[in-house]
Amino acid sequence: MAGQTGTILAMRGIQKRFGDVNALDDVDFCLGEGEVHALLGVNGAGKSTLIKILSGVYSKDGGTIEIAGKAYDLGSPRAAIEAGVAVVQQHPELVGDLTGAENIFLGHESAKPGLFSRIDRSGIAARAQAMLSRFPIDIDLGRRVADMPAVDREIVAILHALRLENARILILDEPTSTLTEREKASLFSMMKTLKAAGIAIIYITHRLEEVFEIADAFTVFRGGRNVATHTVKEAREKKISIPNLMLDSDKGLTFPPRSQKTDGDIVLEAKNLSAEGLFRNVSFAARKGEILGIFGLVGSGVDELSKALFGVVAPNSGEIHLKGRAVRFRSAAQALQAGIFLVPGDRRSEGLTMDEDVVFNTTLANLGRASLGGILRFGDNRKQAAALAAKVDLQPPKLDRALRGFSGGNQQKVVIAKGLYRQAEVYIFVEPTVGVDIGARSKIYSLMREISRDAAVIVISSDCDEVHGVADRTVALYKGAPIGAPDRATTRDQLLSAGIMGEMTA
Amino acid sequence: MTDITASLSPARQPAKPHRHGGVFTRYGFFLLVIAVFIAFAWLRPTFIAPGNIHGMLMSASIAALMFLGLTWIVAAGEIDVSFMSVAALSNMIVAGLVQSGSGWALATLGGLAAGLVFGLLNAGLVAGLRLPALVITIATGALAASVAAAIGLGTSISLSNTGFVGSILNLRLGVVPLIGVIVGLLYAISWFVQEKLTFGHYIYALEQNRAAVVEAGVPVNRMLFMLYVLSGLVSSLAGVLLAANLSSGQPYLGTSYFLDGLTSVLLGGMALKLGKPNVLGTLAAVIFLIGLLNGAALLGWTDSERQIVRGSLLLIGVGLVVFARSRNRGRAHT
Amino acid sequence: MISGRLIIRLLAFIALVAVIAGLFWTQNAAFLSEGNIRALMRHMSVQGLAALGLTFVIVVRQFDLSFPGVASLGAMTLGWLIASGMPLSVAVCGGLAAGIAFGPVNGVAGARLALPDIVTPLATRGLAIGFSYFYSNGTSISQNFFMSGILDLNDRKILGLDMPFAILMAAAIVGFVVLHASRFGRGFYATGENRTSARFSGIPTRTLIVAAFAICGMMACLSITLLVASSGAANVTAGNQLLMPAFAAVYLGAALFGRPSVGATLAGTLMMSTMLNGFTLLAIPYYYSDAIVSTVLIAAIALFDPRVSGLFRTLVAKKDKTA
Repeated sequence: MAGQTGTILAMRGIQKRFGDVNALDDVDFCLGEGEVHALLGVNGAGKSTLIKILSGVYSKDGGTIEIAGKAYDLGSPRAAIEAGVAVVQQHPELVGDLTGAENIFLGHESAKPGLFSRIDRSGIAARAQAMLSRFPIDIDLGRRVADMPAVDREIVAILHALRLENARILILDEPTSTLTEREKASLFSMMKTLKAAGIAIIYITHRLEEVFEIADAFTVFRGGRNVATHTVKEAREKKISIPNLMLDSDKGLTFPPRSQKTDGDIVLEAKNLSAEGLFRNVSFAARKGEILGIFGLVGSGVDELSKALFGVVAPNSGEIHLKGRAVRFRSAAQALQAGIFLVPGDRRSEGLTMDEDVVFNTTLANLGRASLGGILRFGDNRKQAAALAAKVDLQPPKLDRALRGFSGGNQQKVVIAKGLYRQAEVYIFVEPTVGVDIGARSKIYSLMREISRDAAVIVISSDCDEVHGVADRTVALYKGAPIGAPDRATTRDQLLSAGIMGEMTA
Repeated sequence: MTDITASLSPARQPAKPHRHGGVFTRYGFFLLVIAVFIAFAWLRPTFIAPGNIHGMLMSASIAALMFLGLTWIVAAGEIDVSFMSVAALSNMIVAGLVQSGSGWALATLGGLAAGLVFGLLNAGLVAGLRLPALVITIATGALAASVAAAIGLGTSISLSNTGFVGSILNLRLGVVPLIGVIVGLLYAISWFVQEKLTFGHYIYALEQNRAAVVEAGVPVNRMLFMLYVLSGLVSSLAGVLLAANLSSGQPYLGTSYFLDGLTSVLLGGMALKLGKPNVLGTLAAVIFLIGLLNGAALLGWTDSERQIVRGSLLLIGVGLVVFARSRNRGRAHT
Repeated sequence: MISGRLIIRLLAFIALVAVIAGLFWTQNAAFLSEGNIRALMRHMSVQGLAALGLTFVIVVRQFDLSFPGVASLGAMTLGWLIASGMPLSVAVCGGLAAGIAFGPVNGVAGARLALPDIVTPLATRGLAIGFSYFYSNGTSISQNFFMSGILDLNDRKILGLDMPFAILMAAAIVGFVVLHASRFGRGFYATGENRTSARFSGIPTRTLIVAAFAICGMMACLSITLLVASSGAANVTAGNQLLMPAFAAVYLGAALFGRPSVGATLAGTLMMSTMLNGFTLLAIPYYYSDAIVSTVLIAAIALFDPRVSGLFRTLVAKKDKTA
């Protein structure tokens, strides 16, 4: 598509399937020369799939890619690099003992490629100089990377990505997640420098305010499609609501009816709970008979909060009260002992032992109940597991099958069964329906409601509709701080803007 | 947080990298070696008798040859504990072939072939299949050692002649054996590769952060493959030389070289790179170790006393490497 | 629990052992004689006890290369206690206690201090040698042995079985109950397969790992006690021969049966002992059998590694559609 002035990248009709799931469905995406273009969307919306196709990690099933008017088949990471695409991962890997310059040119120390080429040290220094001439940035590349502050390391990683002369498209994946405000400002100023030098930047972020700070345009992905592309100027003028673009308002989900009970016993209370750098001043009371919902995007601190309540992360200040008594958990074992059960966000690596069967997993968090004098009660355990499998509607109810052989939704049901076997008094659900199909989702929501009759239930999720639909009282966590207090009256839109932008719209 | 506006402006040349410690820490080990030699020479003048020096240099050359591959393998963050058994196997193959009348040329090839085979075996399993290096090389080492013993049916093989290899070993320039010069040259070349070529650069980067090196496009598996093959080859070459040196095949010669090898590589890290194994360090440590043990023997120390010295040096070497690696742990990521 | 696949593996294993035994028998009919079977069972007892202990460490996905050194320490402690005139039970317990004490030190200290893996085995071996010089100014102790009754551990019979084999069976039963029928066994497997999930389930993973090393050390000392009983002297180098066969047995069993377990280890030990016993009977020198053990170990480790075994499984699955 040569001709459209200023377009450096044109991706059209991109298709990508994994099995029978359409990760990307007829996606168009364009990038202008020297443009900073933000890529937005919830997890699983398709952003990273698009980026992986652009950087050669995945191959597309359909569509075309043109860079500077020329068609490319980016079949491998090397092909992408040669085409001028540079990627900086979220946590870039650097070699601490080497200097910034040496890290930038790692793998390219000499003109001749190969394992036995002469290192051209003055050449490296000169090339580093040349880079700084091309992109005037305040940084001492002669310093050891291990001695550099986080933002300088990020800059080294970016320069490493841009080391080839022909690099023209830079992809940054959430580069600010570990930076302070000041450091972020330095990074943005570097990005402006790169812009001025003609590099086009694709910027993936979950922080909407950054879009208005640094981007020229943005694209929102939802359900594998490009649902909207606007310039930032347009968005400001037309007061476009980005949060609404990011989320499906109607997914066909049914939530069980709310509970009207407001006077259940307070089981778990958090008072000004803080963990440095993760979240601060979180306060709430979780009662029996109701579901408390906390909405927060990735990086808002919700996952760490759940782990703090479960004894895995240690809070710096504030208190946790269980049934009126102040408690301090030093391990998950202690939290479990006290009656708290966590359904973790990453069930494969935190919630289940994938190669073991249903009975093994269901009984694992309560081996005391599962054994008598140390010896496992095989018959009884099997019976209990079968009963719980029926209660959570495990499909198919094969108790001897390894968890790996079940679908995501059924795996999650086993985690819930594990909690029920524990007979906990507080259930904390984190991202309960990630990778779970619609049918299982509804079942999980009704299970939560059932469980909440006799226990306190806290649901933490980055899916606003889910939190608002299933919980009785909701609050949002934005960049570690709660926006307001848990309230019945919060509307879905209020919750959404609180979690995405940090303030409740009236 | 450092205020980056305070750092140097872009017009400034990037400063020379701040490398491992001051002059004393880097060169101190060499001074130590020299000091020890002077001390022994003073205590027992026979220490510096030409015959003794020649003998020490001969032993040091062969040992240094055996430990060359190991040096880089440990520097890259892996391990190879089969090196001494491969040397023993090569040694026995040479002895066996010579005794059965095959001539030294063929015997040498046979010995080197063994080194190549075991080098490839280790390389395939550890670098190729990414199996745990320690357990695998223990097993391959045991295999090599058993085959070595099998060749001699459990005992050593005496050789009546030492062939052309023996002749080479006998050549000397004053007190320095020709082998010493050759090994010295080999080490000089290795030093060049280690310091000036990308290969050495990547070895040390690999130990720090393998992911970064892979991401930069460097063929890491291929590098490790080469290192294990190198270790097999140099060990087998040392085994060939030992056959002539000892005029026999000794199936159990691996045992003493094992500890000495690890000690030399780890202790040698003290020189020049503050705890990172490197070839000149290994060379210096080998000379140090052999000089120390030789001198101690001349002073009448018993076997067990000398064992204690060996063990303590190994401990010091280990301590150094642990210290050096802990300094850099977890500081390479953003 | 007993699935069709397990039966098939069991039958395949039995067939394999039968083939190996048959081959040896054709070379020397004495292979299946009562005397030889008993010798085989004795051999299996010593190797099996060490391998059983190592199984726990492999289940929690750790390595223990120090247990030979720990066994030597145990042997010297046992020898010293006997030579000092202590009653047999005290001496044996002392030896086992050394295993329980030093096993975890090696396994855990190594990890905590980030030492290169090779160090703790070397250190333990050195320590054992040091102790032996301290105890007896030499490398072996045999004072009082005849009178202490230790030789009975080798010579007596229980329920018609030779004592060593009876001890192995007893240990295997206890091991089976602990690893496969108790809550601790669940904890061991959970810790090894997914430590984070285990922690989140309240499993005391750190304690279990220490326990696994303690069990390994203790079993190695029990194994060496049998060796001491049969040789009549405590030798500091005796432990060295335990390493390779134990690893070979555990990994072989794990490769054959899909995962490490008491049963798999016993099977691996049986196969290894059958082979080694056959070699001895045919007067094949030790270095050949050592070579075979090393080769089996290398092959078993390669097969046990999930990537390689996964590859293997897809190859086999292609030929056999009825999975």
